[in-house]
Amino acid sequence: MKALFELTKVEFKLTLRNFVVAFFSFAFPVLLLLMFGGMYGNKPDPFFGGHGAVDVLLPSYVGMIIAVTGLMNLPLTIAEYRERKILKRFMATPIKPYYVITSQVMVNFVTTLIGLLLLAIVGKLVFTLHYLTTGPSFILAFLLSIFSIFSFGLLIASIAPNANAATAIANIVYFPMLFLSGATIPFEVMPKIMVKISKIVPLTYVVDLLKNTWLGSDTSYLLDILVLVSILIVSLFISASTFKWEYE
Amino acid sequence: MVIEVRNLCKNYGSVRAVDGISFDVEDGEIIGMVGPNGAGKTTTIECIEGLRKLDSGTIRVLDLEPYKEREKLYQLIGVQLQETSYQDRIKAWEICHLFSSFYKNSLPYEELLKKFELYDKKNSYVSKLSGGQKQRLSIILALISNPRIIFLDELTTGLDPQARHSMWELIKGLRDEGRTVFLTTHYMEEAEYLCGRVAIMDHGKIVALDTPRNLIESSGIEERIIFEGDVSDVEGLKSIKGILNVQKNQSEVTVYGKGVDLLQNVVTYIQAKGIDYRNLQTKTPNLEDVFLKLTGHKYEEDKV
Repeated sequence: MKALFELTKVEFKLTLRNFVVAFFSFAFPVLLLLMFGGMYGNKPDPFFGGHGAVDVLLPSYVGMIIAVTGLMNLPLTIAEYRERKILKRFMATPIKPYYVITSQVMVNFVTTLIGLLLLAIVGKLVFTLHYLTTGPSFILAFLLSIFSIFSFGLLIASIAPNANAATAIANIVYFPMLFLSGATIPFEVMPKIMVKISKIVPLTYVVDLLKNTWLGSDTSYLLDILVLVSILIVSLFISASTFKWEYE
Repeated sequence: MVIEVRNLCKNYGSVRAVDGISFDVEDGEIIGMVGPNGAGKTTTIECIEGLRKLDSGTIRVLDLEPYKEREKLYQLIGVQLQETSYQDRIKAWEICHLFSSFYKNSLPYEELLKKFELYDKKNSYVSKLSGGQKQRLSIILALISNPRIIFLDELTTGLDPQARHSMWELIKGLRDEGRTVFLTTHYMEEAEYLCGRVAIMDHGKIVALDTPRNLIESSGIEERIIFEGDVSDVEGLKSIKGILNVQKNQSEVTVYGKGVDLLQNVVTYIQAKGIDYRNLQTKTPNLEDVFLKLTGHKYEEDKV
Protein backbone atom coordinates (compact mmCIF):
# COMPACT_ATOMS: atom_id res chain seq x y z
CA MET A 1 0.00 0.00 0.00
CA LYS A 2 2.92 2.31 0.69
CA ALA A 3 4.08 1.72 -2.88
CA LEU A 4 0.64 2.62 -4.27
CA PHE A 5 0.56 5.76 -2.16
CA GLU A 6 4.03 6.87 -3.26
CA LEU A 7 3.25 6.07 -6.88
CA THR A 8 0.03 8.07 -6.78
CA LYS A 9 1.78 10.95 -5.02
CA VAL A 10 4.57 11.25 -7.57
CA GLU A 11 2.22 10.74 -10.53
CA PHE A 12 0.03 13.54 -9.18
CA LYS A 13 3.06 15.81 -9.04
CA LEU A 14 3.82 14.92 -12.65
CA THR A 15 0.25 15.78 -13.65
CA LEU A 16 0.55 19.19 -12.01
CA ARG A 17 3.76 19.72 -13.98
CA ASN A 18 1.92 18.91 -17.21
CA PHE A 19 0.82 22.36 -18.34
CA VAL A 20 -1.82 21.20 -20.81
CA VAL A 21 -3.60 18.98 -18.31
CA ALA A 22 -3.35 21.49 -15.46
CA PHE A 23 -4.60 24.30 -17.70
CA PHE A 24 -7.59 22.44 -19.13
CA SER A 25 -8.56 20.90 -15.79
CA PHE A 26 -8.12 23.89 -13.50
CA ALA A 27 -7.73 27.20 -15.34
CA PHE A 28 -9.79 26.87 -18.50
CA PRO A 29 -13.11 25.85 -16.86
CA VAL A 30 -12.77 28.69 -14.34
CA LEU A 31 -12.01 31.16 -17.15
CA LEU A 32 -15.09 29.99 -19.06
CA LEU A 33 -17.22 30.32 -15.94
CA LEU A 34 -15.94 33.84 -15.33
CA MET A 35 -16.54 34.78 -18.96
CA PHE A 36 -20.06 33.40 -19.37
CA GLY A 37 -20.99 34.26 -15.78
CA GLY A 38 -19.85 37.80 -16.50
CA MET A 39 -22.03 37.89 -19.62
CA TYR A 40 -25.21 36.34 -18.24
CA GLY A 41 -24.88 36.84 -14.47
CA ASN A 42 -26.61 34.34 -12.20
CA LYS A 43 -30.12 35.71 -11.93
CA PRO A 44 -32.88 33.14 -12.50
CA ASP A 45 -33.66 33.26 -16.19
CA PRO A 46 -36.40 31.44 -18.10
CA PHE A 47 -33.83 30.93 -20.87
CA PHE A 48 -31.89 28.61 -18.54
CA GLY A 49 -35.05 26.89 -17.33
CA GLY A 50 -35.56 29.31 -14.48
CA HIS A 51 -32.00 28.87 -13.12
CA GLY A 52 -29.07 31.24 -13.10
CA ALA A 53 -26.58 30.84 -15.96
CA VAL A 54 -23.70 30.04 -13.59
CA ASP A 55 -25.80 27.40 -11.80
CA VAL A 56 -26.44 25.69 -15.13
CA LEU A 57 -22.93 26.10 -16.57
CA LEU A 58 -21.00 24.88 -13.57
CA PRO A 59 -22.10 21.22 -13.67
CA SER A 60 -21.57 21.27 -17.46
CA TYR A 61 -18.00 22.39 -16.96
CA VAL A 62 -17.50 19.57 -14.47
CA GLY A 63 -18.46 17.29 -17.36
CA MET A 64 -15.83 19.03 -19.45
CA ILE A 65 -13.15 18.38 -16.81
CA ILE A 66 -14.14 14.71 -16.60
CA ALA A 67 -13.62 14.52 -20.37
CA VAL A 68 -10.15 16.10 -20.12
CA THR A 69 -8.97 13.81 -17.33
CA GLY A 70 -10.84 10.65 -18.35
CA LEU A 71 -10.71 10.72 -22.14
CA MET A 72 -7.41 12.50 -22.67
CA ASN A 73 -4.99 12.38 -19.75
CA LEU A 74 -5.82 8.89 -18.48
CA PRO A 75 -5.60 6.94 -21.76
CA LEU A 76 -2.74 9.02 -23.18
CA THR A 77 -0.60 8.61 -20.09
CA ILE A 78 -1.15 4.86 -20.00
CA ALA A 79 -0.50 4.48 -23.74
CA GLU A 80 2.65 6.58 -23.45
CA TYR A 81 3.92 4.60 -20.43
CA ARG A 82 3.36 1.41 -22.35
CA GLU A 83 5.08 2.62 -25.51
CA ARG A 84 8.07 4.00 -23.61
CA LYS A 85 8.32 0.75 -21.60
CA ILE A 86 7.67 2.55 -18.34
CA LEU A 87 4.93 0.00 -17.61
CA LYS A 88 7.40 -2.77 -18.31
CA ARG A 89 9.89 -1.25 -15.89
CA PHE A 90 7.23 -1.27 -13.18
CA MET A 91 6.47 -4.89 -14.08
CA ALA A 92 10.07 -5.67 -13.09
CA THR A 93 9.48 -4.49 -9.51
CA PRO A 94 7.58 -6.22 -6.70
CA ILE A 95 4.54 -3.93 -7.01
CA LYS A 96 1.30 -5.29 -8.36
CA PRO A 97 1.06 -4.20 -12.01
CA TYR A 98 -2.47 -2.90 -11.59
CA TYR A 99 -1.11 -0.32 -9.12
CA VAL A 100 0.07 1.67 -12.11
CA ILE A 101 -3.45 1.85 -13.54
CA THR A 102 -4.98 2.43 -10.11
CA SER A 103 -2.62 5.32 -9.44
CA GLN A 104 -3.52 6.92 -12.77
CA VAL A 105 -7.23 6.58 -12.01
CA MET A 106 -6.72 8.14 -8.58
CA VAL A 107 -4.59 10.98 -9.93
CA ASN A 108 -7.20 11.87 -12.53
CA PHE A 109 -9.97 11.52 -9.96
CA VAL A 110 -8.25 13.99 -7.63
CA THR A 111 -7.51 16.32 -10.54
CA THR A 112 -11.20 16.31 -11.50
CA LEU A 113 -12.23 16.88 -7.91
CA ILE A 114 -9.91 19.88 -7.59
CA GLY A 115 -11.30 21.26 -10.85
CA LEU A 116 -14.81 20.93 -9.40
CA LEU A 117 -13.82 22.62 -6.15
CA LEU A 118 -12.15 25.50 -7.98
CA LEU A 119 -15.29 26.04 -10.04
CA ALA A 120 -17.44 25.93 -6.91
CA ILE A 121 -15.21 28.36 -5.02
CA VAL A 122 -15.01 30.84 -7.89
CA GLY A 123 -18.76 30.45 -8.54
CA LYS A 124 -19.54 31.14 -4.91
CA LEU A 125 -17.13 34.04 -4.50
CA VAL A 126 -17.75 35.82 -7.78
CA PHE A 127 -21.36 34.90 -8.48
CA THR A 128 -24.05 33.88 -6.03
CA LEU A 129 -23.83 30.22 -6.88
CA HIS A 130 -26.74 28.08 -5.66
CA TYR A 131 -25.14 24.74 -5.23
CA LEU A 132 -25.54 21.34 -3.68
CA THR A 133 -29.30 21.62 -3.61
CA THR A 134 -29.30 17.83 -3.64
CA GLY A 135 -25.83 17.13 -2.26
CA PRO A 136 -25.72 13.32 -1.98
CA SER A 137 -27.31 12.66 -5.36
CA PHE A 138 -24.83 15.02 -7.03
CA ILE A 139 -21.93 13.21 -5.36
CA LEU A 140 -23.26 9.87 -6.59
CA ALA A 141 -23.78 11.30 -10.07
CA PHE A 142 -20.23 12.70 -10.02
CA LEU A 143 -18.79 9.32 -9.03
CA LEU A 144 -20.79 7.39 -11.61
CA SER A 145 -19.81 9.90 -14.32
CA ILE A 146 -16.15 9.61 -13.42
CA PHE A 147 -16.09 5.83 -13.34
CA SER A 148 -18.04 5.58 -16.56
CA ILE A 149 -15.94 8.06 -18.55
CA PHE A 150 -12.67 6.81 -17.02
CA SER A 151 -13.46 3.25 -18.03
CA PHE A 152 -14.14 4.55 -21.53
CA GLY A 153 -10.67 6.14 -21.35
CA LEU A 154 -9.18 2.80 -20.27
CA LEU A 155 -10.90 1.24 -23.25
CA ILE A 156 -9.09 3.71 -25.53
CA ALA A 157 -5.79 2.85 -23.83
CA SER A 158 -6.51 -0.86 -24.25
CA ILE A 159 -7.53 -1.02 -27.89
CA ALA A 160 -5.03 1.52 -29.29
CA PRO A 161 -2.19 -0.33 -31.04
CA ASN A 162 0.33 2.38 -30.11
CA ALA A 163 0.63 5.80 -28.46
CA ASN A 164 -0.04 7.74 -31.66
CA ALA A 165 -3.20 5.76 -32.30
CA ALA A 166 -4.30 6.41 -28.71
CA THR A 167 -3.84 10.15 -29.27
CA ALA A 168 -5.81 9.99 -32.50
CA ILE A 169 -8.67 7.99 -30.97
CA ALA A 170 -8.77 10.20 -27.87
CA ASN A 171 -9.00 13.34 -29.99
CA ILE A 172 -11.68 11.88 -32.25
CA VAL A 173 -13.71 10.96 -29.18
CA TYR A 174 -12.94 14.01 -27.07
CA PHE A 175 -13.63 16.99 -29.33
CA PRO A 176 -17.06 16.03 -30.68
CA MET A 177 -18.06 15.05 -27.14
CA LEU A 178 -16.90 18.36 -25.80
CA PHE A 179 -18.99 20.42 -28.21
CA LEU A 180 -22.00 18.13 -28.61
CA SER A 181 -22.53 17.06 -25.03
CA GLY A 182 -23.49 20.44 -23.60
CA ALA A 183 -20.23 20.50 -21.65
CA THR A 184 -19.05 23.70 -23.33
CA ILE A 185 -22.02 24.89 -25.37
CA PRO A 186 -25.19 24.75 -23.23
CA PHE A 187 -28.12 22.82 -24.71
CA GLU A 188 -30.15 25.94 -24.13
CA VAL A 189 -28.34 27.76 -26.95
CA MET A 190 -27.99 24.73 -29.25
CA PRO A 191 -30.12 24.35 -32.38
CA LYS A 192 -32.71 21.53 -32.07
CA ILE A 193 -30.87 19.33 -34.56
CA MET A 194 -27.65 19.47 -32.50
CA VAL A 195 -29.55 18.56 -29.36
CA LYS A 196 -30.78 15.48 -31.22
CA ILE A 197 -27.29 14.54 -32.41
CA SER A 198 -26.01 15.01 -28.88
CA LYS A 199 -28.03 11.98 -27.78
CA ILE A 200 -25.45 9.63 -29.31
CA VAL A 201 -22.56 11.14 -27.32
CA PRO A 202 -21.87 9.45 -23.95
CA LEU A 203 -20.73 12.67 -22.32
CA THR A 204 -24.21 14.13 -22.91
CA TYR A 205 -25.55 11.79 -20.25
CA VAL A 206 -22.81 12.87 -17.86
CA VAL A 207 -23.65 16.53 -18.35
CA ASP A 208 -27.39 15.85 -18.10
CA LEU A 209 -27.03 13.82 -14.92
CA LEU A 210 -24.64 16.26 -13.27
CA LYS A 211 -26.85 19.21 -14.19
CA ASN A 212 -30.08 17.65 -12.99
CA THR A 213 -28.62 16.42 -9.71
CA TRP A 214 -26.87 19.75 -9.15
CA LEU A 215 -30.03 21.75 -9.83
CA GLY A 216 -32.27 19.27 -8.04
CA SER A 217 -34.54 18.88 -11.05
CA ASP A 218 -37.56 16.63 -10.72
CA THR A 219 -36.80 14.76 -13.94
CA SER A 220 -36.02 11.06 -13.98
CA TYR A 221 -32.32 10.19 -13.90
CA LEU A 222 -32.95 6.64 -15.00
CA LEU A 223 -31.90 6.94 -18.65
CA ASP A 224 -28.64 8.75 -17.76
CA ILE A 225 -27.82 6.17 -15.13
CA LEU A 226 -28.59 3.27 -17.46
CA VAL A 227 -26.42 4.67 -20.26
CA LEU A 228 -23.51 5.43 -17.96
CA VAL A 229 -23.64 2.07 -16.19
CA SER A 230 -23.75 0.31 -19.57
CA ILE A 231 -20.71 2.25 -20.79
CA LEU A 232 -18.92 1.37 -17.57
CA ILE A 233 -19.61 -2.35 -17.83
CA VAL A 234 -18.93 -2.72 -21.55
CA SER A 235 -15.71 -0.64 -21.42
CA LEU A 236 -14.32 -2.48 -18.42
CA PHE A 237 -15.15 -5.82 -19.98
CA ILE A 238 -13.39 -5.02 -23.27
CA SER A 239 -10.45 -3.36 -21.51
CA ALA A 240 -9.92 -6.32 -19.22
CA SER A 241 -9.78 -8.72 -22.16
CA THR A 242 -7.62 -6.59 -24.48
CA PHE A 243 -5.26 -4.68 -22.19
CA LYS A 244 -1.54 -5.30 -22.81
CA TRP A 245 1.35 -4.24 -20.58
CA GLU A 246 3.73 -4.07 -23.49
CA TYR A 247 3.42 -3.58 -27.25
CA GLU A 248 4.79 -6.62 -29.04
CA MET B 1 24.41 -21.78 -8.15
CA VAL B 2 22.02 -18.83 -8.31
CA ILE B 3 20.43 -19.36 -11.71
CA GLU B 4 19.60 -22.64 -13.39
CA VAL B 5 18.25 -22.70 -16.94
CA ARG B 6 17.21 -25.97 -18.58
CA ASN B 7 16.06 -26.37 -22.19
CA LEU B 8 14.60 -22.89 -22.36
CA CYS B 9 12.48 -22.33 -25.48
CA LYS B 10 10.60 -19.21 -26.41
CA ASN B 11 8.74 -18.54 -29.67
CA TYR B 12 7.23 -15.40 -31.06
CA GLY B 13 4.59 -16.66 -33.42
CA SER B 14 6.41 -19.04 -35.71
CA VAL B 15 9.81 -17.56 -34.92
CA ARG B 16 11.89 -19.50 -32.41
CA ALA B 17 13.68 -16.76 -30.49
CA VAL B 18 15.37 -19.04 -27.95
CA ASP B 19 15.98 -22.61 -28.95
CA GLY B 20 16.50 -24.98 -26.04
CA ILE B 21 19.34 -23.42 -24.08
CA SER B 22 20.68 -24.67 -20.73
CA PHE B 23 23.25 -23.14 -18.41
CA ASP B 24 23.97 -22.27 -14.78
CA VAL B 25 25.12 -19.06 -13.18
CA GLU B 26 27.38 -19.25 -10.13
CA ASP B 27 27.12 -16.96 -7.15
CA GLY B 28 29.31 -13.88 -7.42
CA GLU B 29 30.36 -14.12 -11.06
CA ILE B 30 29.93 -11.69 -13.94
CA ILE B 31 28.41 -13.68 -16.76
CA GLY B 32 27.71 -12.14 -20.14
CA MET B 33 25.72 -13.10 -23.19
CA VAL B 34 27.08 -11.81 -26.45
CA GLY B 35 25.77 -12.14 -29.94
CA PRO B 36 24.26 -10.11 -32.75
CA ASN B 37 20.81 -8.53 -32.66
CA GLY B 38 18.10 -11.15 -32.84
CA ALA B 39 20.35 -13.83 -31.33
CA GLY B 40 17.91 -14.18 -28.42
CA LYS B 41 19.87 -12.44 -25.65
CA THR B 42 17.12 -10.10 -24.51
CA THR B 43 14.46 -12.80 -24.68
CA THR B 44 16.65 -15.05 -22.54
CA ILE B 45 17.39 -12.41 -19.92
CA GLU B 46 13.72 -11.37 -19.79
CA CYS B 47 12.61 -14.97 -19.27
CA ILE B 48 15.09 -15.28 -16.40
CA GLU B 49 13.84 -11.99 -14.96
CA GLY B 50 10.29 -13.34 -14.97
CA LEU B 51 9.03 -10.81 -17.51
CA ARG B 52 8.22 -13.40 -20.15
CA LYS B 53 6.46 -16.70 -20.00
CA LEU B 54 8.46 -19.67 -21.25
CA ASP B 55 7.12 -21.94 -23.95
CA SER B 56 9.04 -24.88 -22.52
CA GLY B 57 11.94 -25.63 -20.22
CA THR B 58 12.57 -24.59 -16.63
CA ILE B 59 14.25 -21.67 -14.94
CA ARG B 60 15.14 -21.38 -11.26
CA VAL B 61 16.48 -18.12 -9.90
CA LEU B 62 17.50 -18.17 -6.22
CA ASP B 63 15.24 -21.22 -5.90
CA LEU B 64 12.24 -19.34 -7.25
CA GLU B 65 10.29 -19.80 -10.44
CA PRO B 66 10.61 -16.34 -11.97
CA TYR B 67 7.35 -15.89 -13.87
CA LYS B 68 5.17 -17.36 -11.12
CA GLU B 69 6.92 -15.92 -8.07
CA ARG B 70 7.66 -12.46 -9.43
CA GLU B 71 6.85 -10.50 -6.29
CA LYS B 72 9.28 -12.54 -4.17
CA LEU B 73 11.90 -12.57 -6.91
CA TYR B 74 11.95 -8.80 -7.43
CA GLN B 75 12.77 -8.33 -3.74
CA LEU B 76 16.00 -10.25 -4.41
CA ILE B 77 17.13 -9.16 -7.87
CA GLY B 78 17.69 -5.86 -9.64
CA VAL B 79 16.83 -5.24 -13.25
CA GLN B 80 17.91 -2.78 -15.91
CA LEU B 81 15.88 -3.11 -19.08
CA GLN B 82 17.02 -2.39 -22.59
CA GLU B 83 15.58 0.93 -23.88
CA THR B 84 13.67 1.96 -20.80
CA SER B 85 12.77 5.53 -20.36
CA TYR B 86 11.22 7.19 -17.35
CA GLN B 87 8.28 9.51 -16.93
CA ASP B 88 8.58 12.98 -18.37
CA ARG B 89 9.07 15.65 -15.73
CA ILE B 90 10.15 13.25 -12.99
CA LYS B 91 13.23 14.25 -11.04
CA ALA B 92 16.10 11.90 -10.29
CA TRP B 93 15.47 11.84 -6.53
CA GLU B 94 11.73 11.37 -7.06
CA ILE B 95 12.10 8.20 -9.05
CA CYS B 96 14.67 6.89 -6.55
CA HIS B 97 12.29 7.69 -3.70
CA LEU B 98 9.45 5.96 -5.53
CA PHE B 99 11.47 2.81 -6.17
CA SER B 100 12.61 2.75 -2.52
CA SER B 101 8.98 2.39 -1.47
CA PHE B 102 8.68 -0.81 -3.53
CA TYR B 103 11.20 -2.88 -1.54
CA LYS B 104 11.33 -4.33 1.95
CA ASN B 105 15.07 -3.78 2.43
CA SER B 106 15.81 -0.86 0.17
CA LEU B 107 19.25 0.70 0.22
CA PRO B 108 19.38 4.44 1.03
CA TYR B 109 19.21 6.04 -2.41
CA GLU B 110 21.06 9.18 -1.36
CA GLU B 111 24.14 7.04 -0.78
CA LEU B 112 23.70 5.40 -4.17
CA LEU B 113 23.33 8.78 -5.87
CA LYS B 114 26.59 9.86 -4.25
CA LYS B 115 28.39 6.64 -5.14
CA PHE B 116 27.34 6.86 -8.78
CA GLU B 117 28.14 10.57 -8.98
CA LEU B 118 24.59 11.72 -9.54
CA TYR B 119 24.01 13.42 -6.21
CA ASP B 120 24.37 16.92 -7.63
CA LYS B 121 21.86 15.92 -10.33
CA LYS B 122 19.24 14.68 -7.90
CA ASN B 123 16.94 17.64 -8.55
CA SER B 124 17.32 17.41 -12.33
CA TYR B 125 14.62 16.03 -14.54
CA VAL B 126 15.57 12.53 -15.64
CA SER B 127 14.85 13.51 -19.24
CA LYS B 128 17.61 16.15 -19.01
CA LEU B 129 20.34 13.69 -17.96
CA SER B 130 23.03 12.59 -20.41
CA GLY B 131 23.09 9.03 -21.77
CA GLY B 132 25.73 7.93 -19.28
CA GLN B 133 23.92 9.62 -16.38
CA LYS B 134 20.65 7.94 -17.34
CA GLN B 135 22.34 4.53 -17.40
CA ARG B 136 23.92 5.20 -14.00
CA LEU B 137 20.45 6.05 -12.74
CA SER B 138 19.21 2.76 -14.20
CA ILE B 139 21.87 0.94 -12.18
CA ILE B 140 20.86 2.84 -9.03
CA LEU B 141 17.22 1.84 -9.55
CA ALA B 142 18.31 -1.77 -10.05
CA LEU B 143 20.41 -1.59 -6.87
CA ILE B 144 17.81 -0.04 -4.57
CA SER B 145 16.47 -3.52 -3.76
CA ASN B 146 19.98 -4.48 -2.53
CA PRO B 147 19.88 -7.36 -5.01
CA ARG B 148 21.88 -10.58 -4.92
CA ILE B 149 21.73 -10.71 -8.72
CA ILE B 150 21.70 -7.68 -10.99
CA PHE B 151 20.61 -7.98 -14.63
CA LEU B 152 21.96 -5.49 -17.15
CA ASP B 153 20.57 -5.65 -20.68
CA GLU B 154 22.81 -3.79 -23.13
CA LEU B 155 23.68 -1.22 -20.51
CA THR B 156 26.44 0.43 -22.51
CA THR B 157 24.82 0.50 -25.95
CA GLY B 158 24.89 4.00 -27.35
CA LEU B 159 27.36 5.35 -24.80
CA ASP B 160 30.56 7.04 -25.89
CA PRO B 161 33.77 5.06 -25.20
CA GLN B 162 34.69 7.06 -22.13
CA ALA B 163 31.28 6.60 -20.51
CA ARG B 164 31.39 2.94 -21.45
CA HIS B 165 34.75 2.41 -19.80
CA SER B 166 33.68 4.10 -16.60
CA MET B 167 30.56 1.92 -16.64
CA TRP B 168 32.81 -1.15 -16.80
CA GLU B 169 34.54 -0.15 -13.58
CA LEU B 170 31.15 0.34 -11.89
CA ILE B 171 30.06 -3.14 -12.97
CA LYS B 172 33.28 -4.67 -11.61
CA GLY B 173 32.53 -2.82 -8.39
CA LEU B 174 29.14 -4.55 -8.18
CA ARG B 175 30.84 -7.92 -8.36
CA ASP B 176 33.38 -6.87 -5.73
CA GLU B 177 30.43 -6.16 -3.42
CA GLY B 178 29.53 -9.83 -3.78
CA ARG B 179 26.68 -9.45 -6.23
CA THR B 180 26.19 -11.70 -9.23
CA VAL B 181 26.03 -9.76 -12.49
CA PHE B 182 24.20 -11.14 -15.52
CA LEU B 183 24.62 -8.92 -18.55
CA THR B 184 24.04 -8.91 -22.26
CA THR B 185 26.09 -6.90 -24.67
CA HIS B 186 26.83 -6.78 -28.35
CA TYR B 187 30.33 -5.47 -27.72
CA MET B 188 32.68 -8.47 -27.79
CA GLU B 189 35.43 -6.33 -26.29
CA GLU B 190 33.18 -5.52 -23.34
CA ALA B 191 32.36 -9.17 -22.70
CA GLU B 192 36.03 -10.10 -22.91
CA TYR B 193 37.07 -7.39 -20.46
CA LEU B 194 34.25 -7.69 -17.94
CA CYS B 195 32.96 -11.22 -17.82
CA GLY B 196 34.29 -14.16 -15.91
CA ARG B 197 32.34 -16.34 -18.31
CA VAL B 198 30.82 -15.54 -21.67
CA ALA B 199 27.97 -17.27 -23.46
CA ILE B 200 28.10 -16.73 -27.20
CA MET B 201 24.60 -16.76 -28.66
CA ASP B 202 23.57 -17.08 -32.26
CA HIS B 203 20.14 -17.86 -33.70
CA GLY B 204 18.62 -18.69 -30.33
CA LYS B 205 21.32 -21.12 -29.26
CA ILE B 206 24.34 -20.90 -27.01
CA VAL B 207 27.21 -21.90 -29.29
CA ALA B 208 29.85 -21.71 -26.55
CA LEU B 209 30.05 -20.87 -22.86
CA ASP B 210 33.34 -20.49 -21.02
CA THR B 211 35.87 -17.98 -19.76
CA PRO B 212 37.02 -15.63 -22.53
CA ARG B 213 40.50 -17.14 -22.29
CA ASN B 214 39.28 -20.71 -22.66
CA LEU B 215 36.99 -19.75 -25.51
CA ILE B 216 39.90 -18.28 -27.40
CA GLU B 217 42.32 -21.11 -26.59
CA SER B 218 39.90 -23.91 -27.35
CA SER B 219 38.88 -22.29 -30.60
CA GLY B 220 42.27 -23.27 -31.98
CA ILE B 221 42.66 -19.95 -33.75
CA GLU B 222 46.33 -19.15 -34.38
CA GLU B 223 48.15 -16.10 -33.22
CA ARG B 224 49.54 -13.94 -35.98
CA ILE B 225 52.87 -12.18 -36.05
CA ILE B 226 53.23 -9.65 -38.82
CA PHE B 227 56.37 -7.77 -39.78
CA GLU B 228 58.11 -6.22 -42.73
CA GLY B 229 61.46 -7.69 -43.64
CA ASP B 230 63.37 -9.42 -46.38
CA VAL B 231 62.79 -13.09 -45.59
CA SER B 232 64.04 -15.26 -48.42
CA ASP B 233 63.93 -18.64 -46.66
CA VAL B 234 60.22 -19.07 -45.92
CA GLU B 235 60.65 -22.81 -45.39
CA GLY B 236 63.28 -22.18 -42.73
CA LEU B 237 60.89 -19.92 -40.89
CA LYS B 238 58.15 -22.53 -41.15
CA SER B 239 60.32 -25.12 -39.48
CA ILE B 240 60.39 -23.23 -36.18
CA LYS B 241 58.47 -24.89 -33.35
CA GLY B 242 54.89 -23.67 -33.04
CA ILE B 243 54.66 -22.14 -36.49
CA LEU B 244 51.89 -23.52 -38.62
CA ASN B 245 52.03 -21.36 -41.68
CA VAL B 246 53.84 -18.40 -43.17
CA GLN B 247 52.53 -16.05 -45.82
CA LYS B 248 54.65 -13.60 -47.71
CA ASN B 249 53.23 -10.62 -49.51
CA GLN B 250 56.13 -8.63 -50.99
CA SER B 251 58.02 -7.48 -47.92
CA GLU B 252 55.19 -8.16 -45.46
CA VAL B 253 55.42 -11.49 -43.70
CA THR B 254 52.58 -13.04 -41.70
CA VAL B 255 53.41 -15.90 -39.39
CA TYR B 256 50.59 -18.09 -38.06
CA GLY B 257 51.26 -20.17 -35.01
CA LYS B 258 50.57 -21.17 -31.43
CA GLY B 259 52.34 -21.46 -28.12
CA VAL B 260 53.67 -19.09 -25.49
CA ASP B 261 57.17 -18.94 -26.98
CA LEU B 262 56.00 -18.14 -30.49
CA LEU B 263 56.98 -14.48 -30.57
CA GLN B 264 60.32 -15.11 -28.92
CA ASN B 265 61.13 -17.96 -31.31
CA VAL B 266 60.33 -15.86 -34.36
CA VAL B 267 62.34 -12.87 -33.18
CA THR B 268 65.30 -15.08 -32.24
CA TYR B 269 65.19 -16.67 -35.70
CA ILE B 270 65.14 -13.48 -37.73
CA GLN B 271 67.78 -11.85 -35.57
CA ALA B 272 70.04 -14.90 -35.93
CA LYS B 273 69.60 -14.68 -39.69
CA GLY B 274 70.50 -11.01 -39.59
CA ILE B 275 67.23 -9.95 -41.19
CA ASP B 276 66.17 -6.34 -40.73
CA TYR B 277 62.60 -6.17 -39.60
CA ARG B 278 60.23 -3.29 -39.07
CA ASN B 279 56.66 -2.78 -37.80
CA LEU B 280 56.49 -6.04 -35.97
CA GLN B 281 53.10 -6.63 -34.42
CA THR B 282 51.27 -9.55 -32.91
CA LYS B 283 47.56 -10.19 -33.37
CA THR B 284 46.10 -12.29 -30.59
CA PRO B 285 42.75 -13.85 -31.41
CA ASN B 286 39.78 -12.26 -29.65
CA LEU B 287 36.17 -13.22 -29.10
CA GLU B 288 35.21 -11.78 -32.45
CA ASP B 289 37.50 -14.30 -34.14
CA VAL B 290 35.99 -17.03 -31.97
CA PHE B 291 32.49 -15.96 -33.03
CA LEU B 292 33.47 -16.10 -36.69
CA LYS B 293 34.99 -19.53 -36.25
CA LEU B 294 32.04 -20.95 -34.31
CA THR B 295 29.18 -19.55 -36.37
CA GLY B 296 30.79 -19.28 -39.77
CA HIS B 297 29.65 -15.71 -40.17
CA LYS B 298 31.39 -12.48 -39.35
CA TYR B 299 30.44 -10.56 -36.25
CA GLU B 300 29.39 -7.07 -37.25
CA GLU B 301 28.67 -4.95 -34.25
CA ASP B 302 28.21 -1.81 -36.32
CA LYS B 303 25.08 -3.29 -37.79
CA VAL B 304 23.49 -3.71 -34.39
